[in-house]
Amino acid sequence: MKPPVFDYHAPATVDEAIALLTRYGGEAKLLAGGQSLMPLLNFRLSRPAALVDLNPIASLAYIREDQGEIRFGAMTRQRTIEFSDVVRQRLPLLTEATALVAHLPIRTRGTIGGSLAHADPSAEYPAVLTALEGSVVVRGPRGERRLGSADLFQSYLTTNLQPDEVIVEVRLPAMAAGAGFAFEEFSRRHGDFALVGIAAMLVGDGERCRTARLATAGAGPVPVRLRSAEEILERDGLSEAALDAAARRAAELVEPDSDIHASAAYRKNLTRVLTGRALRRAMAIMRSR
Amino acid sequence: MPEPGAAPSLIGAPVKRREDQRLLTGRGRFVADLLRPGMVHAAFLRSPHAHARILRIDATAATFGPGGVAVFTADDLRPHARPLRALSRMRGYAVTEMPALASDKARYAGEAVAAVLAESRYAAEDAVDRIVVDYAPLPAASDPRTAMADGSPLVHEEIKTNVILSRAFSQGDVTAALAGSAVRVADRFRFRRHAAVAIENRAGLAEWDAGAGALTLWTSTQVPGMLREALADLLLLPAHRVRVVAPDVGGGFGMKSALYPEEVAVCALARLLGRPVKWIGDRREDLLTSTQAWDEDIEAELGLDGDGRILGLRASVWADLGAYSIYPWTASIEAIQVVSFLPGPYRVPHYHAEAWGVATNKAPMGPYRGVGRPVSTFVMEGLIDRAARRLGMDPAALRLANLIRPDELPYRSPSGLVWDSGAFIETLERACDAVDYARLRAAPPRDAAARRRTGIGIASYVELTGVGSAIPASPGADIATGTEGATVRVDPAGTVTAAFGLACHGQGHETTLAQIIAQEVGVELDAVRVVHGDTEAGPIGTGTYASRSAVIGGGAAILASRAVRDKALLIAAHRLEVDPRDLEMAGGVAWVRGAPDRRIPLSDIARTAYFGVRRLPKDMEPGLEATRYYDPYIGTAANATHIALVEVDLDLCSVTLARYVIVEDAGRIINPLIVEGQAIGGVAQGLGAALLEEVVYSDDGQPLTGSLMDYVIPTAVEMPLVEVMHVEQPSPSTLGGFKGVGEGGTIGAPAAIANAVANALAPLGVEITELPITPERLFRLLDRRREPAVECAP
Amino acid sequence: MADLVSVQLTINGQRREGRCEPRKLLVDFVREDLGLTGTHVGCEHGVCGACTVLVNGLAARSCLMLAVQANGTELVTVEGLMKDGKLHPLQQAFHEHHGLQCGFCTPGMLLAALDFLNTNPSPTEKEIRQGLSAVLCRCTGYQGIVRAVEAAAIVLRDAR
Repeated sequence: MKPPVFDYHAPATVDEAIALLTRYGGEAKLLAGGQSLMPLLNFRLSRPAALVDLNPIASLAYIREDQGEIRFGAMTRQRTIEFSDVVRQRLPLLTEATALVAHLPIRTRGTIGGSLAHADPSAEYPAVLTALEGSVVVRGPRGERRLGSADLFQSYLTTNLQPDEVIVEVRLPAMAAGAGFAFEEFSRRHGDFALVGIAAMLVGDGERCRTARLATAGAGPVPVRLRSAEEILERDGLSEAALDAAARRAAELVEPDSDIHASAAYRKNLTRVLTGRALRRAMAIMRSR
Repeated sequence: MPEPGAAPSLIGAPVKRREDQRLLTGRGRFVADLLRPGMVHAAFLRSPHAHARILRIDATAATFGPGGVAVFTADDLRPHARPLRALSRMRGYAVTEMPALASDKARYAGEAVAAVLAESRYAAEDAVDRIVVDYAPLPAASDPRTAMADGSPLVHEEIKTNVILSRAFSQGDVTAALAGSAVRVADRFRFRRHAAVAIENRAGLAEWDAGAGALTLWTSTQVPGMLREALADLLLLPAHRVRVVAPDVGGGFGMKSALYPEEVAVCALARLLGRPVKWIGDRREDLLTSTQAWDEDIEAELGLDGDGRILGLRASVWADLGAYSIYPWTASIEAIQVVSFLPGPYRVPHYHAEAWGVATNKAPMGPYRGVGRPVSTFVMEGLIDRAARRLGMDPAALRLANLIRPDELPYRSPSGLVWDSGAFIETLERACDAVDYARLRAAPPRDAAARRRTGIGIASYVELTGVGSAIPASPGADIATGTEGATVRVDPAGTVTAAFGLACHGQGHETTLAQIIAQEVGVELDAVRVVHGDTEAGPIGTGTYASRSAVIGGGAAILASRAVRDKALLIAAHRLEVDPRDLEMAGGVAWVRGAPDRRIPLSDIARTAYFGVRRLPKDMEPGLEATRYYDPYIGTAANATHIALVEVDLDLCSVTLARYVIVEDAGRIINPLIVEGQAIGGVAQGLGAALLEEVVYSDDGQPLTGSLMDYVIPTAVEMPLVEVMHVEQPSPSTLGGFKGVGEGGTIGAPAAIANAVANALAPLGVEITELPITPERLFRLLDRRREPAVECAP
Repeated sequence: MADLVSVQLTINGQRREGRCEPRKLLVDFVREDLGLTGTHVGCEHGVCGACTVLVNGLAARSCLMLAVQANGTELVTVEGLMKDGKLHPLQQAFHEHHGLQCGFCTPGMLLAALDFLNTNPSPTEKEIRQGLSAVLCRCTGYQGIVRAVEAAAIVLRDAR
């Protein structure tokens, strides 16, 4: 299982990277963390004419706070995020989700931009981007644009990115100071892709909920923002009945696929169960802060 | 000089392993680490089709290009290698011919169709990509029961059937016994297909020495001796010019005990090309082609009287053998063991079981730790629990009423196997004590609406270990597995080299056999070096498999060690001018009992033996070494009871193992660390079989579990702490009193876990009939019970 | 065929270099070009962890890196754990607690465990199992390995 032959480039800047992508006319792939791409290359399921390695571009890795957003350079390692104080304080949902991403050695290399560009709907980061209403900054020969989750993720492993575009930054609005949060997932083994995962954030007090945000992993070809489940909570508060209603509604909102690990029906069941658990845990955190 | 008569025995001591130093420091030597001058690398083109005629192979694009690539097909190999034909004397057995490279047909997805040699594996894979093969796909046989029927696609047309073997065992009149039973429980059980997944993939490096006319094969195998004999035959070489070496081997579990087509191919290619050929299998190849296991469909029925005594047991077993009967074991190895061990450690007066081994277009089935017994235990222990529920009896009490008692031993089972010893009742009672079984069973039942349930499951089993020449490891197969030899040689420096035909792959032979030899000869442990895995270096033997090394290798070690010790004492006595019966020897020194200053070190004895011939007793042959062979003839039964405590989350449909207890009768233990490691390692594979692992093929024979993300083996998180306790009764039947301990974990764990889940779900009316119990399967079982009309995903 | 690339790095404290195709995996470069065969290949898709090495002190799967990506880095492989002929406390603990059988996963397990303990010097048993889940072992059932890591954690903490 050795990779096929490809041209290898290590550009010094993002613009050089873009120029290379343009030159190869869609036949080049970006190499970020490599934790998703390298297996595809080793299985020879992917045969790009060239790899454009972003790792040497040091300016693409950073974590900054700016105008109420936390901004991540696309090449920021998941491991860096996992242990970042800024992230723990301002985006604790992301900290929790990061610890669930595969295993520590994968997080050593994996990047936030790479995870989002790979767009595996079973991954944690796309769900968090969706729940927190974040965005990515994309640069190409035609300039820069900003995409939210709904525009970025088109289908299984497919984004809106053009072949000559690069995610350069990921922006997540800082969570409210007393927000409750939880990332609840179920997988075959510890560290595997979630069969279903739920990212939850609650802002409110007591039984009232001002803001509820819920998004899925593993419950369809893209992360699903469970808006009408959120509305139940924002309208009816955080009673047991409302939580159950939101969980049931969540299951109605997803159209999961079946594969050898789990059927659509079972994934719908998991959506309901995990939404309930995520909400209860988020609520407990909200009440304790 | 103290009299070391009081030194604790090395046999039974928790000695730390001699193997560890090199393995911990990255200095192991696995096949992939070996380099030979002029070596080329091999890759195989493999059929993407489960069943297809091979019309044409066009390698022109592959051989044109950099890197000096050569492509070989079946036609090139045919003059140099005969096909593998696993023979059996079993009636009703059909021979299937397995070539090193497929010629007219590919019979499973992944079967090797062409071999490519290049300067690097990278270049070889590039060339594989450029070979063009015209296939005419054929319909695939993918289910054994339908593959038995007329009109099914035939995997081997020349034998005109897909039924490779059939066998029945009968004792008494089971029909009458069942008819007269107060309680009858029956079910259809499915134990799905599994894979051993050793962390080191299969690999082989072959070198042909044209000058000496000699072949050497370094291969990741458990059975160098078996391979040597087989390769000499298939490659038409004189056996004394074939050497097979198993260097460090990264796990085998039975899967590396067959001769594989790739091993034959690299040998033939090395001869053809005149350069050493190295093939390092990758994980894709491993999951596609390494032998698979335990795939049986079983209908079984148990009949009991009103007091819970077993009257009769009946079973039909369909085994999915895959495309070939493996070499040299034959396909019978797995299927027959299911029916011969099904009655378990119980009194079963009337028994009838029939097994069919059916060919399908899948990778071949072969032995995997436990071989048939994990499946038979799952079925029988499942029937026992069903009977207990029906009778309103406690499952432990029902077992106690039927387990063979010590006073009934030796006991002849309904399939003709004899249990020479066994602590069936004792292991059950002690396991129950260990988990405080009575209190657990007396606990008030969970609230009917509880979403988390607990369950307790028992599995008791008996197996044969250290099987000698009286019993074929694989019925009908023409291979001798009942003996092993040991050569123990003391060199003039007084250190001891002991060579075996065994081939260790994690079991710690270099430590355990050294413990035996050091103890029996009378030297320090560090004075003994154990050599294994090389047909050039040891006596004739087959290898390490079937839980036999402690018994048979250990027995041979004892015999050879005693012969050496006896001779050494004769020499010492002659030198010291005493009667040999007045001598002690330990720690590498012989001394006169009661007069320890009258002593002679072993090195001195040895120098006398080799160089001081004039000072030897009259007519004594020089030298200080002995080769002895041991055949335990029948072997010895080992048994255990496993108890699993599980938690089932009805919402997630998940099963977690809360606690796991084993009480085993492992005979006389050589090294408790190693015995415990074998048990726990086996439980991990058994847990995987019960909850996680399944080789999945589509209906048209396409493998769907092609990576380690799809075929999921347990991590450290999925494993509970396992408590292992022993009944230490030496075997009455083996020299040394040892029993085999390698396979118990996988034999007991699937059944114990299945029974625990069934116990947790019994109040919901859910039975467990199929393994693995994946969350998806559990969801469907719970869902079906909730709503009669359920939309199930395909 | 693509041009060869130059790879210069420090491995187990030694400066080494080589030239290889850009597609060559780091694990193959370490094993073949640098002759350090202690790091093993088990799956080549990042699941088994047998290929785990430390890159600039952090555990990474060397089957998922290109050799060229290790240019300018400091690598530690299993061969670099011993100091002055003495086993590293982790190695010693594996030996004492029967934390290996066939030994094939062991190099990866040692380095993953080392990185894990560096991030969590006083772990609970549950945390140890979660940390070790990064590497698959088929022989031991993990119990000896867990015990070894518990014991090594104490030794390493005392040494600080």
